[in-house]
Amino acid sequence: MARYGMIIDLTKCVGCHACRVACQNQNGLSDTEAFNFLEEREYGTFPDVHREFQPMQCQHCDNPPCVRVCPTGASYKRSDGVVLVNEKECIGCKYCMAACPYGARIIMKEGYVAKCTFCVSFVEDGEVPACVTTCMNDVRMFGDLDDPGSDISRYVARHRNRLHRLKEELNTRPRIYYRKA
Amino acid sequence: MKEKRSHSFTISRRAFLKGSAATAVALSAGILDFESWAREFKTLPVTRIPTICGGCGNRCALVVSVKGGRVWKIEGNPEANGNRGAVCPRGHGYLHDMYNPRRITGPLKRVNGRFEPLSWEQAFKEIAQKINILLLDNGPETIFWVNYPQVNHEYALRFMHAMRSPHYFSHGSTCYTARDAGWNFTTGNLPSSDLANTRFAMIIGRNPAGGINLGQMKDIVRSRDGGMKLVVVDPRHSETAILADEWLPVRPGTDLALLLGLMHVLITEQLYDADFVSRHTVGFEALRDGVVSYSPRWAEGICDIPAETIRRLAREMAAAKPRALIHRGYHGAFGAQYLNSFQTARALAIVNTLLGNINRTGGTYFAKSADLGPLQPVHPVPGGPLVPKQDGTGIPGRYPLGAYGDGITHAIPELALRGKLKCGFVYHNNPLRTNPNPERVIAGYKKLELLVVLDPVMSETAAIADYVLPVSYYPEADEAVDNKHYGKQAQVSIQQQAIEPLFDTRSGFSIIHGLAQRLGVGRYFNFTIEEANRLRLKPLGVSLEDLKRRGVVPVGDHWEEGFEKLDTPSGKIELYSKTLDKLGYAPIPRWEAPLVSPDEGDDTSFRLIHGKQAIHTHSMTANNAYLMGISENYGMMRLWINTRRASKLGIGDGDLVQLTSLIGTGNVRVRLTEGLHPSCVWLPSGYGIFSKHLTTAYHRGLSYNDFLPTFFDPAVGHAMASEVIVSVRKVQDSD
Repeated sequence: MARYGMIIDLTKCVGCHACRVACQNQNGLSDTEAFNFLEEREYGTFPDVHREFQPMQCQHCDNPPCVRVCPTGASYKRSDGVVLVNEKECIGCKYCMAACPYGARIIMKEGYVAKCTFCVSFVEDGEVPACVTTCMNDVRMFGDLDDPGSDISRYVARHRNRLHRLKEELNTRPRIYYRKA
Repeated sequence: MKEKRSHSFTISRRAFLKGSAATAVALSAGILDFESWAREFKTLPVTRIPTICGGCGNRCALVVSVKGGRVWKIEGNPEANGNRGAVCPRGHGYLHDMYNPRRITGPLKRVNGRFEPLSWEQAFKEIAQKINILLLDNGPETIFWVNYPQVNHEYALRFMHAMRSPHYFSHGSTCYTARDAGWNFTTGNLPSSDLANTRFAMIIGRNPAGGINLGQMKDIVRSRDGGMKLVVVDPRHSETAILADEWLPVRPGTDLALLLGLMHVLITEQLYDADFVSRHTVGFEALRDGVVSYSPRWAEGICDIPAETIRRLAREMAAAKPRALIHRGYHGAFGAQYLNSFQTARALAIVNTLLGNINRTGGTYFAKSADLGPLQPVHPVPGGPLVPKQDGTGIPGRYPLGAYGDGITHAIPELALRGKLKCGFVYHNNPLRTNPNPERVIAGYKKLELLVVLDPVMSETAAIADYVLPVSYYPEADEAVDNKHYGKQAQVSIQQQAIEPLFDTRSGFSIIHGLAQRLGVGRYFNFTIEEANRLRLKPLGVSLEDLKRRGVVPVGDHWEEGFEKLDTPSGKIELYSKTLDKLGYAPIPRWEAPLVSPDEGDDTSFRLIHGKQAIHTHSMTANNAYLMGISENYGMMRLWINTRRASKLGIGDGDLVQLTSLIGTGNVRVRLTEGLHPSCVWLPSGYGIFSKHLTTAYHRGLSYNDFLPTFFDPAVGHAMASEVIVSVRKVQDSD
């Protein structure tokens, strides 16, 4: 059984937004709809300054609060760990948007909620998510965390001490791991 | 593993409805309603066609996915030197321009101040008639062509030469001609920087993470992972600085002082590669004597980088030599920015030389570029111009260090006002927005008897044209084979058609071809694009079929380390240039101050500098809703100002300020930052669109060109684009 996950290396992101637009095209989104976001931070005082961009998207939590609050079962987690929204069952109540601690969900103009899908319908056909392949700096790595031979599993084993997940204290257990220097 | 509730590709109803073109395609495929169209779309086969991007000058190699007659997405071609599988945000966003409802759908002619449609045949006929009369009266040299270099720019040059005019221009004088001249007068040609194999890289002013270059970023990130040290010298904490080990916020316009200081340390501490210098350079003694007084302490007083840092960095780069380099640069600090930009580029080339890195692995190397074959003897060579360019490039007493091939593009309005140019073509370029001092530019271009603009949308320049000829977007047209993907091994690449044109538009090549036929120079264009491409590929041993299948094909030998005779008068690297001495310019780099500097006694006085963002190409993409959406969401149109300077003026983050220079004034919101040298404010380029046809971008943000007077650097003729002082004051939103 695959268990999909992603590494996002914060030491490499320069905030170009290619992931956002690649995702919009891959998923047929309009210009106002995006599944990828960037948070920018500036540290220090001139001339000792550092900046950092943190890419944000659905964290595909193992314990997803969005799924628990969904009144219709539209939000669900697959057995491979990918969290999805069935747009036909979604009534647009936005409970999940309020419950998501990462602000990763958006409401589409059609009235249903949507978000990053890990490009899973393409992944099943052997492709890699669009945000991964487009990146000039190889910020993201995607793969099967259950396969000990996968690049991502080896990466996690090698850099475990440098990886963290966002808001771990909430016990959401995201499947996206961030690397800091 | 498949699941019953598997989420699938989202097709929005709006995507179906928006743009008559998409709907027309859907309808023509016999699909009548959204539900069936969406169902059909999901199951339709995907065709993948390799081509090259038209979204900027990098011409990255792509694979375009077409589904149901519509371009769905693009991916990077992993084989291409220039982008190696990656695609930038502009590339993805640019696709949507093709489906933009503001596209021009057929040729237009201005009649009584309004545009009216006409056929291509009629447009060609009328344009040719007018040009023939104008040139008969004024001489063949009064016609010009200006473009941002495209795959077909050699055909544009051929067209001008067939017309016997010297007046082919690139955008270079507003971008990179000082950098090119600095290198050319030192090493004979412009080299590349071997970022993939270096151990120490200093980047001055260049920001490949913003003025985006995918291949260079891949090299930087991988070399850094392998232990390379990266030092970024930039008044602004650029996006490349995010990756750097050290950021050195230099006082803008004083990079030359830093370089002179580095030279001083390398020479006085005998850290330079003496063997390389003695074998491959001329004029070392003069250089040694010339930099004696440029101590790190002196440099610190000018450029604000501590003397100890300069000394330490010189030692670090010397320890890593020859796998140590200073990036060759681009527009950034010395492309066309300051009065001292030419000497800055010279000094930068010389520091690289002192590191002994010229044509060495991990240093500065002369990249391999595909030698495309000639069209002759099958097709005759045009006679060429009868007089030199009227802008004075390459002429002693005028702009002797100017690039003749590029010309001085921002002199076109001046030449028009003086009656030296009467008619011309603007292709894939928008000088009304991208040249300094728009009022002067507008006056000049309006003075022309005939202006023909080749553009897919109604840009500022198109809006004042007599004729607008709509160019197809890159997925819609076959074009000329290209050698832009240079590198350790040359590559040839091709733009090929992926979908039928959505409207009555034509490729750039096809428009040049059509014009040539009507203007009586058809014998120089007696070929199709396919025939020309085959001739050009012939000596490379690559078939057109193979190239079209693969998109890019490597050709020729792999680059090898080693010094060969250079294209300089001495054949060596010219630390001292006799040519410059004869022309009356400093033969070895010496300190030259910028033309203007902010008033240190005036808290409102700042230098206005500018730079690119990864999401925008010149003024071309501001009207793109996907890319402008990012600018809006992330406040990216704001002016950067140093927090301490802003607080003195009572300016808070997000406040509206008014900028005023000698020639212009404008309001913009500010971003307070610690990541900017206090002496300047920084404005992102690409905004300030004033063509009312471009509704998404209209009057959003500012352009630095609105504040920049018309300058011609006295040696190269470049625009000196950062020689502008502005006063900044807080204004109320209602002001």
